[in-house]
Amino acid sequence: MSRLRRREALWFYLFASPWIIGFVVFLLGPMIASVYISLTDWDSFTPPKWVGLQNYTRLLTDDPVFWKALWNTFYYAAISVPLGLVIGLWLANLLNKQVRARKVFRTLIYLPTLVPLVATAMIFKMVLAPSGPLNDVLGIFHLPGPSWLLEAVWVKPALILLSVWGAGGATVLLLAAMKGIPRELYEAAEVDGASAIRQFWSITVPQLTPIIFFNLIMGLIGAFQVFSQVYILTKGGPNNASQMMVPMLFDEAFNFYHMGYASAISWLLFAVILVFTLLAFRTARRWVFYETEVK
Amino acid sequence: MATALSTATPARERSTSKERVVGVFRASPFTYATLIVVSAVLCVPLVFVVSIALSSDQTVNANTFTILPREFHWDNFTRVFGTDLPMQRFLLNSMIISAGAVIGQVLSSGLVGYAFARLRAPGKNALFIIVLATMMIPAQITMIPQFILFKELGWVNTYLPLIVPNFFSNAFNVFLVRQFVSRLPSEIDEAAMVDGLGFFGIYRRIMLPMLAPVLIAIGIFTLTATWGDFMGPLIYLNDESKMPLALGVQYITSTSAALQAPPWNLVMVGSILLTLPMILVYYLGQRYLYEMDISGGSAGVK
Repeated sequence: MSRLRRREALWFYLFASPWIIGFVVFLLGPMIASVYISLTDWDSFTPPKWVGLQNYTRLLTDDPVFWKALWNTFYYAAISVPLGLVIGLWLANLLNKQVRARKVFRTLIYLPTLVPLVATAMIFKMVLAPSGPLNDVLGIFHLPGPSWLLEAVWVKPALILLSVWGAGGATVLLLAAMKGIPRELYEAAEVDGASAIRQFWSITVPQLTPIIFFNLIMGLIGAFQVFSQVYILTKGGPNNASQMMVPMLFDEAFNFYHMGYASAISWLLFAVILVFTLLAFRTARRWVFYETEVK
Repeated sequence: MATALSTATPARERSTSKERVVGVFRASPFTYATLIVVSAVLCVPLVFVVSIALSSDQTVNANTFTILPREFHWDNFTRVFGTDLPMQRFLLNSMIISAGAVIGQVLSSGLVGYAFARLRAPGKNALFIIVLATMMIPAQITMIPQFILFKELGWVNTYLPLIVPNFFSNAFNVFLVRQFVSRLPSEIDEAAMVDGLGFFGIYRRIMLPMLAPVLIAIGIFTLTATWGDFMGPLIYLNDESKMPLALGVQYITSTSAALQAPPWNLVMVGSILLTLPMILVYYLGQRYLYEMDISGGSAGVK
């Protein structure tokens, strides 16, 4: 290697050193430590006790709360993410028309996503109160409103409702992508006599699949890690009906000081996220359309 | 890039409005009706918050809120800064933590991203694959060991665990800067090198000014993430006087006396104070965000 190239390499490692140090100190080191901690029984005050895979086997075979939390997280992710995307897509399609005051509508639809999660949780605590505005509205239609956050059956739909309030985030991205679809496709389809619905399914949706796919992956990863709204609104209750993986992990680690058990939960969470991401990529070949692809 | 994108859209809109509108893009009364209903429904919670924030203490205790504001106690907004609640302190803490985090990410991400885009070194490609791989790892895995680490350092109940890690950049930001630099013509820095500027000089004098859009976007991402972060402060801060607003607002609701309702009007004032800066930042930084979201998004998946 020439002197100049060696100097360049030196500068590269110097410039990249913040990330390299951060990677070792805040990621690689803690990851290795986490594997070890997950194999011990440790309260973070007394020396850890090696228990092998016991934490994992207990979680998977002997902890009904863990299975409940896992199921609740699936329930939440499986409904809130697709629902948010469908609503986002529907609104983007409406906004993509020649609408007057489009900017006003776009702003109003996007506004909820700018509200920080803690504030959103506070808002929904009031909106979903037994005598809150949502039940008032249901009352107008003579529908009996449940006491959302206090009923085991309704607490998960309530949390999904909170997440759907922010569906406008996807709308903005999808709308920007819709603007990039060549008009000629629609003109040609119109000449061929395709209906608006047909055009939506045969032109708009296929052209948007890369963005939809991106939102789906990011949404799923985010939904599996849901924490703040659960912690603030329900603390997992009633009767663990809204307990999810990260709030459970947090409780185990920082309320009960079961560091080993909590670390094992974090690895199972990682496994779940990994499986779903891989599944999404696996199926992507069948439904995501890339312009550059030649079939 | 920024100018190309922002001028392209209006131009296209203008040209189509003159042409005949394709069938599917014609807005029917039904379109307007749907949009108005949806916008209204989405705004109800926001109006309700304002209504609660402006209501009197009696209304809070009687729990007789209405969606549209009936009372206008604007003094609630000054009361939270009085002696009642440490809201002033919460706001200040939020600002300190967010400012520290933003400075850290902007300083480090630019440098690291530039190195990955331009400088040649053995092992760089392998390292970049690691950068991408780390994006997959959920923060919960490192949460407990990091807590132990900061506890050993005696940093618990200080701002440091929430600020310092940002000075080491993160994978997503490195990726954003790298993609951005890769699109810039490399003739510029080659010419500067011929003129005798060192690598740091090239970065300082030539790259940094050109990186402004991506660094502003990173600043906004970091600001919104840190400002709204709840879990980090919840883990590391137990002292009321150190809490940022996001945690403080929740803290007020969880610590009010057992039989007394939390002061919902003041809590909602806090929620509004938590939200307004985000709306402001979004409006000021909108065009940087769109650009980064779209280019970053499609590049990330393709």
